[in-house]
Amino acid sequence: MTLFLQQLVSGISIGSVYALLAVGYALVYSVFSFTNWAFDAFMVVGAFGAFYAITDFKLPIPLALLFAILFTMLVSVFVERMAYRPLRIREAPRLFMMISAMGANMSIINIINLQFGGHFRNFPQITGETLSVGGIKIGMMDVFAAVFSFITLILLWIFLYRTKMGLGIRASALDLLTSGIMGINNDMVAIIIFGISGILSGVAGVFYGIKYAVFPYLGLVTIKAMIASIIGGLGSLPGAVVGSLLLGILETLVSGYISSEWRDLFTFSLLIIVLLFMPNGLFGKSTKEKL
Amino acid sequence: MDYLITVGILGGINIIAAMGLAILTGYTGLFSLGHAAFMAVGGYSSALLFMKLNVPFILAVILGGFIAGIVSLFIGIPTFRSQLTGDYFAIATYGFAEAIRLILNKWAYVGGAEGMPGIPKLSNVWVVLGFTVVLAYLANNFTHSQHGRNCVSIKQDEVAAQMMGVNVFKTKLMSLFISAVYCGIAGGLMGFYFSYLIPALFGSGRSSDMLASIVFGGMESLIGPIITSFLLFAIPQLLYVLDKYRLIVYGLLFVVMMIFRPQGLLGYRQMSVEDFKRTISSFKNRFKKQGSAADKGEQ
Repeated sequence: MTLFLQQLVSGISIGSVYALLAVGYALVYSVFSFTNWAFDAFMVVGAFGAFYAITDFKLPIPLALLFAILFTMLVSVFVERMAYRPLRIREAPRLFMMISAMGANMSIINIINLQFGGHFRNFPQITGETLSVGGIKIGMMDVFAAVFSFITLILLWIFLYRTKMGLGIRASALDLLTSGIMGINNDMVAIIIFGISGILSGVAGVFYGIKYAVFPYLGLVTIKAMIASIIGGLGSLPGAVVGSLLLGILETLVSGYISSEWRDLFTFSLLIIVLLFMPNGLFGKSTKEKL
Repeated sequence: MDYLITVGILGGINIIAAMGLAILTGYTGLFSLGHAAFMAVGGYSSALLFMKLNVPFILAVILGGFIAGIVSLFIGIPTFRSQLTGDYFAIATYGFAEAIRLILNKWAYVGGAEGMPGIPKLSNVWVVLGFTVVLAYLANNFTHSQHGRNCVSIKQDEVAAQMMGVNVFKTKLMSLFISAVYCGIAGGLMGFYFSYLIPALFGSGRSSDMLASIVFGGMESLIGPIITSFLLFAIPQLLYVLDKYRLIVYGLLFVVMMIFRPQGLLGYRQMSVEDFKRTISSFKNRFKKQGSAADKGEQ
């Protein structure tokens, strides 16, 4: 029982990082109906930004986090401006968007790899304290990451559902063309959406870097978040959160009870099973093209 | 000379794999992120056929290709039946490829992560060249056949194609099967050239290299990917100093190409002798026009 609870706790902790990323994917998908394949790079930018802000610029930790998050936001908006907007305006096929995004992703990650080197860096220890509740050990950092992630998500929810700008974004998610005709500036929506998803990926990158290590390929974990957002249903924000927590918990249970070697195989098989039997995920809209 | 032979063999293998992906991505418009896995399946199964069952070399390579094709049906039938397209299909193939790679990593019979050594080195430049020419001929025939045109119609508008009577499910599956056979054959030849196989050879890096040759070479073209897959392989070999910048440049080129020339370098053109003649004559005409314009200017 203790083992189960312990796994459950670490599952929620990793699931909350997935949730940030999955919500980022879902946000972009809900408005523009394409997957942001450059997300992986934004996460790496966030992790490296925080790492070098602390070690090189000697910034205090809260400032360093803020710096990393804002920097990721700028990179995200920049990529939107350079790689997506020309295609979006031309109404290019989604295939082209995908290729363009993967190109941006490949460049950013390899620039970081070339500039800083591919080795693993340990994030400066922030706190090593552990809480002990009824025999279960919980790292303070895990708690902080989970709480911070959920606060970020709640703030996002308030922004989307309680402000006028959020209303505009939801209108765009319903129908981009009509909302454009009604006077919503779609380019502005794109900047806001990509800014928010940049913030989310920056936070996720920092926490992932703290939990494991900082290296140029840490962004590969975004594929898990993508799977989580498919499980929840692409384009659905609550689906993304539920799917992420579910995937995080299932993954840690598999690695705890079976073997950590089979964890990734389990995740990819789960993806294929979900795509087979419920391609719209738990909360998603139908993906079939309508005439 | 040895060096040129190496470039020729590996270039030929890359060309075969790129032709396979061209049929799926370029013609049918299905974006796969996992074709390296079909190379792995082809490579491992042809090596096993040769070493354990004593199947002759050429036949083993071809059978390996067909085994890769059959494996592709396992992902193809479910995904096409539930009508996954675009991003969903790409993620499904990525997941499938990772799953295959992880299984090969764990499977002790084929050596696990340490790989399978001791495959005889039988792929020489003539074998590879022969395979490349025959497969290019077949691919060219396929793309000009009714089936090839069905593929293009699905890419352009799936619903319209269906209404015109194209069996979308069957055509997509055929296109996936053929592309997997091509990649499987390429993987088989690669195994018999390197004389060992490890799962790490077939990571996502190889899939993105293959994709690059399609993107640069052009959608809906065979000769484009053939040329670019050879160039993309040969140029970094010659300028290996610049190899570390390779992926950065690829990435930037992806973005630039999609924005300014999404049809690829050669566009929708097929290369033929008449095409050459036409290009030359159009150049001639242009010079003549320029000449006459200059004459008028002087007057």
